[in-house]
Amino acid sequence: MSVIELDGVVKRYTNGDEEIAALDDVDFTVNRGEMVAIVGPSGSGKSTLLNVIGLLDTPTEGTVTLDGRDVTDLGTDGLTEHRRESIGFVFQAYHLLPIFTAVENVQVPSMWDSTVDRKDRAEDLLRRVGLGDRLTHKPNQLSGGQKQRVAIARALVNEPHIILADEPTGNLDQDTGATILDELTRIKNEENVAIAAVTHDTQLTDYADRTVELVDGVRR
Amino acid sequence: MDASRRLPSLVMAWRNLWRNRLRTILAALGIVIGVIAIAGLGITGSALRYGTAQQFSDITNQATVMPGEDAEQRYLTESQVQSIRGVASNATVIPVKQGRVTISSHTGESYASVDQVTKPRELYSAHKGTIPQPFRTGVLINNETAAYLNVTIGDLIIVGDQSYKVRAIISDGGIGYRDSRVVVSPPALSKQGYSSVMIIAEDGDAAQYLANATKDHFNTEGEVVRTSSYGGLNQRVGSLFSTLNLVLLGIGSISLVVAGVSILNVMLMSTIERRSEIGVLRAVGVRRKDVLRMILAEATLLGVIGGAVGAVLSAGIGALLYDTLYSDPLLVFRWASARYLIVGFCFGAFASVLSGIYPAWKAANKRPVEAIRS
Ligand SMILES: Nc1ncnc2c1ncn2[C@@H]1O[C@H](COP(=O)(O)OP(=O)(O)OP(=O)(O)O)[C@@H](O)[C@H]1O
Ligand SMILES: [Mg+2]
Repeated sequence: MSVIELDGVVKRYTNGDEEIAALDDVDFTVNRGEMVAIVGPSGSGKSTLLNVIGLLDTPTEGTVTLDGRDVTDLGTDGLTEHRRESIGFVFQAYHLLPIFTAVENVQVPSMWDSTVDRKDRAEDLLRRVGLGDRLTHKPNQLSGGQKQRVAIARALVNEPHIILADEPTGNLDQDTGATILDELTRIKNEENVAIAAVTHDTQLTDYADRTVELVDGVRR
Repeated sequence: MDASRRLPSLVMAWRNLWRNRLRTILAALGIVIGVIAIAGLGITGSALRYGTAQQFSDITNQATVMPGEDAEQRYLTESQVQSIRGVASNATVIPVKQGRVTISSHTGESYASVDQVTKPRELYSAHKGTIPQPFRTGVLINNETAAYLNVTIGDLIIVGDQSYKVRAIISDGGIGYRDSRVVVSPPALSKQGYSSVMIIAEDGDAAQYLANATKDHFNTEGEVVRTSSYGGLNQRVGSLFSTLNLVLLGIGSISLVVAGVSILNVMLMSTIERRSEIGVLRAVGVRRKDVLRMILAEATLLGVIGGAVGAVLSAGIGALLYDTLYSDPLLVFRWASARYLIVGFCFGAFASVLSGIYPAWKAANKRPVEAIRS
C-alpha cells in the first residue's frame, strides 16, 4: 500500500510578475519497502517535490495523502505532528546539532516527547549503522560518512513509514556513498520503510527499485 | 541525558549558551550592570534614609506644649501641667520654666535666659560631667557660659540671688536637644507657671498623637494651648526619600532597558546564526512551542545568571557602603535594603525574558523549508 500519494500537485512561485511552476501537475506514490530515486536536471523541481512529500511545503494545487489520510490542508502544528510520527529526513549537509552527541542527535525527534524514551533504540540504531563505538562523539569528531549514518539513525528513531533523502550522498566520495546506500537499502528491508531519494548521480539509481524523472516540474 | 529527557529545552538552551561562552558572558554582563544600577542605587537611597532616620528619631519623639493665643495667662499653670500628665500618662512629661536672671561668678556677670527643670537628662546632653537626675540642686551651663564666667565643674555660680554648684557642661543644642545656656534646678526662678511642657513619647507617631490629644483636651473653645512636634517631619523625610529612591530606580531602569536591548540583539543574532539548526529541529518534528521554549529558556538563563551575579555584587557594594557610613556591613541585609536586591534580580530576569520573546517567536515561526534550503 502506498505511504504517500500526490495527486495533480502544482507548486507555483511568483517572483514579481513572473510566475514559475516548480511542479506542474505531478502524480507520485511510494510504497512500503520501496526505494524511489528522483532524478532530473538542476532546477527541475526535485527538492520542491521532496518538500511537498515531506510536508515541509504545501502545494498550490492538488492533494497530498499520507497513510491514506488527506493532509493537504493541515495547519502548521498538524503537519509537524505527522512529520514527527511518519517521516524521516536525511539531508545532503547532514544537519546534525553540534551541541549534541551522536546518541543525543538521534534522539532529537523524540526528545520533547516525555511519554517515550528512545535512548535504547537510538543506541541500537547507531550500532546497526556501524557506529557502536562513536555513541558519545560530537558531530565535529565524526567523518562525513559517519555523520550521514548518524542522520540515517535519526531519521529512523521514531519508526517512520517513509524516509526522504535529498542528495544523501552528494557530499560524500564514491565509496562512502556506496556504504550509505547499502545502509539505506538494508534498513529499507529491515524496517519495511519507503524511501524517496533525490539524486544527481547514477550511483543511487542503481540501488533504487524505481526512478522518477522530472524535467521543468513535469514528470517524464 | 536524563535531565534532557525531562527538560530538553533547558538543556539545549544551556548548551547553546555554553557554546558561545564569550557572547553569553557579554550579554549577561549587560544584565549584571543593570541589576547593580537598580539594586545599588536603591540600597544607596535606603542607606541614606537609614542614617537620616537615626538622626531624626531623637527629636521626632518630642512634642512641646505652649500657651496659645486665647490663653488666660502667658504661661501654663500647675493644674494645666497636671492635665497634660493625665493626657500623656504613658510618656515623660517635663515642665520647663524659663526666665531671664543675672548670673555671675567672681570674674564675670551676665543677664541670661535660664531654664529651670526637674528632669534635665531627657532634654540636654552632657558635654562634660554627668547630668544629675532628678535635678535637686545645681546648675548646668554651656561651654560659652563656662568660658565667660571662667568656671568649671564643681565651681559655684550665682543664679538670681542664690549660688549653685556647676554639675555638668552641656552641649550646644544638637539634634533632639534644647539649646540653652543655663539650666538650673528649682527654685531659682520665682516667676509663676511654666513657659512650656515637653512631652517625650515612644516615637514620632506617639508624640504627634499626644500633641493632638493635648490640643483636643484644652482647645474646646479657642486656642488655649498650642503644640509643636516633629511627627510630620518624619513623614516628610520619608516621602522625600521615597521620591529620591524612585528617581534612583528610574535611572537604574534605563540601564536595564539598554541591557534588554542588547539581549534582544544577541538573541536575534544567535537565532539567525542557528537558522538552519532550528529549521532542522522543526523539520524532524519538534513543535513550534518547544522551539519557543528553548529560546526563551536561553533568555531566562541569561537573565537569572546575570541577575544573580548582579544581586551578589550589589550586596557587596551595599555592605561596603554601610560599612563606610555606619561601620556595620550587615545592615545591607535589613529588609529596607535587601528588598532592592530582590527587585534588581527580578527586573533583570524580567527584562531578559521580555527581550527573548520576539527572537523566540520569530525562530519558532520560521518555515523549516526556508531554513534548511542549502
Ligand atoms: N522559494 C522559492 N521562491 C521562488 N522560486 C523557487 C523557490 N524554491 C524553488 N524555486 C524555483 O523552483 C524551481 C525548482 O527548484 P528546486 O529547488 O526544486 O530544484 P532542484 O531540482 O532541487 O534543483 P537542484 O538539483 O539544483 O537542487 C527552480 O526554478 C527554483 O528557482
Ligand atoms: Mg535540490
